[in-house]
Amino acid sequence: MQDSTIENKDSVKTDVIDEAVERGLERLTPERIAGVINQVLAKETGARFKTYIDTCMRCGLCADACSFFLSNDRDPKFSPAAKVKQTLTEMLEKRGNVSKDFLKNMVRIAHTECNVCKRCSMYCPFGIDIAYMMLTVRRICHKLEITPLYIQDTVNSHSATMNQMWVKEDEWIDTLQWQEEDAREEFEDLRIPLDKDGADIMYSVIAPEPKFQAGLIYQTAVIMHAAGVNWTMPSNPGWDNSNMAMFTGDFEISGRLAKAHYEAAADLHVNRIVMGECGHAFRSVYDVGNRWAGWRMPPIELVHAIDFFHELLTTGRIKVKEKYKKSVTLHDPCNVSRGRGLHDKAREVVNLLCDNFIEMTPNKEHNFCCGAGGGVINCGPPYKTTRMINNRVKKEQLEQTGAEVLIAPCHNCHSGLEDITHHYGVDMEIKFFGDIIYEVMEKTIYQGGV
Amino acid sequence: MNAFIDFITGPMVWISFLIFFAGVFIRVFRLAQEANSKEKFMFSYFSWKYSLRSIFAWLVPFLPASTRQSPVFWGISYLFHLLLFMVPIFLLSHIVLLEESLGWSWISLNDSIADVLTVLVILALVFFAVRRLNVPEVKFLTRSSDYLFILIVALPFLTGFLAYHQFFFYRTMVIIHILTGELMLILIPFTRFFHMFLAPISRAYTGSEFGNVRQARDW
Amino acid sequence: MKTKLLLIIMGFILLLGAIGAYSQDEEIVVMDTSAFENTQRPASVFDHDIHNEMAGLEDDCAICHHVYDGKTLVEGESSEDSYCADCHSLSKTAENDVPLRAAYHKRCKSCHFETNKGPVLCGECHKN
Repeated sequence: MQDSTIENKDSVKTDVIDEAVERGLERLTPERIAGVINQVLAKETGARFKTYIDTCMRCGLCADACSFFLSNDRDPKFSPAAKVKQTLTEMLEKRGNVSKDFLKNMVRIAHTECNVCKRCSMYCPFGIDIAYMMLTVRRICHKLEITPLYIQDTVNSHSATMNQMWVKEDEWIDTLQWQEEDAREEFEDLRIPLDKDGADIMYSVIAPEPKFQAGLIYQTAVIMHAAGVNWTMPSNPGWDNSNMAMFTGDFEISGRLAKAHYEAAADLHVNRIVMGECGHAFRSVYDVGNRWAGWRMPPIELVHAIDFFHELLTTGRIKVKEKYKKSVTLHDPCNVSRGRGLHDKAREVVNLLCDNFIEMTPNKEHNFCCGAGGGVINCGPPYKTTRMINNRVKKEQLEQTGAEVLIAPCHNCHSGLEDITHHYGVDMEIKFFGDIIYEVMEKTIYQGGV
Repeated sequence: MNAFIDFITGPMVWISFLIFFAGVFIRVFRLAQEANSKEKFMFSYFSWKYSLRSIFAWLVPFLPASTRQSPVFWGISYLFHLLLFMVPIFLLSHIVLLEESLGWSWISLNDSIADVLTVLVILALVFFAVRRLNVPEVKFLTRSSDYLFILIVALPFLTGFLAYHQFFFYRTMVIIHILTGELMLILIPFTRFFHMFLAPISRAYTGSEFGNVRQARDW
Repeated sequence: MKTKLLLIIMGFILLLGAIGAYSQDEEIVVMDTSAFENTQRPASVFDHDIHNEMAGLEDDCAICHHVYDGKTLVEGESSEDSYCADCHSLSKTAENDVPLRAAYHKRCKSCHFETNKGPVLCGECHKN
């Protein structure tokens, strides 16, 4: 029984055909393969990479940190160190002279079997950053042009439009005006102020919001209006804070995106940027893209939605009419808990909004990824089944809480968790903090003065 | 034969220490140099406060989640690393030799206690070897050199133990003991034994990134 | 197979131990260690007359029984009538910078190294 399920899983995994990878491999010559690998390993890595390679004592303690390893019945191939062994170690030892089959496996491992969640850095006694190692592998994939199709398309969109979903400029503005109009049924003078110079806050979103979750912009507009916030959104590129290029190793585009984001804020002379409930986007502008663009830390104060909601609720700008009754649990998105330590504030927000909070364990910095993060979900439909198999632990975690509602303050997590609850038949409704605030808030305008 | 013993207990000890210190210095220097030329940004994220916070957190047994998840391994590992340094440094015979050559001496372990501790070190190494052979995720990562490392560490302790008890081939045992001890010292800068120095460095950097930028704990 | 080999090795070790135990001379002469506190190793095996005869030291007492004035050796004088511990205190003092333990070790070993003869390793004198 056990054996047959493992066999099935393996066959599911080897059956995946990604056209971009297949075609990319066809184009490669042995010289180019070795050339690219050696260029990246020799020129683009340095003391950090060497230290990680030389320090690992192969103790295997990272294995227990990894949701892939745990979800695959402790299959040794899925431990974080094993992923390095199967990719980087071999490339280093063979001096880049690796086969196309090897590369095919490498793409699968680096792009779909690691969420670059950094949980393993917390279980490695030496703090080895295996996420960085896997991103280095993805950098090699990118330079070899064998990045999985769907995520590469997203990067192409970033490159051409500066947003993730080929949203055209008029579509963007149109969507905001449409949401403004709808929201005026609740507050007659509500605005979604575009390009308001000198506003206190620039609010930024990821492109899927205007594309197919415009209701989230509506909710935000209502919350902002009720809280009496002086806010704005840019009409020019830079409004999208998402960044898939950072996950494909296309660092050049990744840096451009973060730069465009901050420049949009600088052009509007805002005091700070508040961003919607998204994790990877936060990582992009707070931790990754800014570095590539040359800013040690964000050049303009950057506030994640959790932090912002916490502020609105604790300062009384948003008042709760009646607390949320259903039992809720909270999924800590990696990029804002392990990535920014917002887990405690998130809990305070939950408790300010809801009556019945059930903890999910392990949690906070030790949370398990939703399985979608790190660009894994963006590799698209070909890998969906394996993604489900690869994050069984999350399903087990969800079931253990027995909660009716799951709060996930991150877009990626949302999609990933929705896939998991559907695939495994977990009866759980998934919500953003914004959804709950919108539901429980008093729809009156804050009069404390701005 | 006495002349040979004179050499390995005299000049060879200094040669070993010299190679060790020079090797460590050169490697750390080169590492810093490379970081400075290619990844200078790392220094701007480095923080003493968070580096030390992380290192100390990981030195406290069973504070990090990982250590609580694998208590047996960690218990043995903590003890092993402690004894690996403590036993040779506080061993009476070693201190006597130092006293004769440099006139230095410090507090020593009782010989019979040191004897038991030596056995513990050897047992810990046996445990590590058995774990490499039997735990699938560790076995998958293990290479033959890993067993060689275990052997290199085990030899000075094993021969030291046998020599102390004077079971057999006393002279040979002591000579192997001295040579393998020196070998281990010489190998540290050139092998993964160097994790002795790299581990705190990589822990410090991860601790700095987690504490300084991500404002989260890393244990 | 492996366990068999292990048993054979263990048997061999026990046998060697037994031979060692039974073959010990009953009249072993050892150093007087009464000046030491908390001795950890067995006293050194040392038969004064046999040692000197083998080493050809019958007339050269001052090599071991030397006399120092401060840090300088007093030529032509010897100290057979006193104990090592009379001058070499257990730990360093103003008058003596060679503690007793080091004095013994250095005295014996330096000659043994120079002449390339005699015991120089711990267990060669401190026999169990």
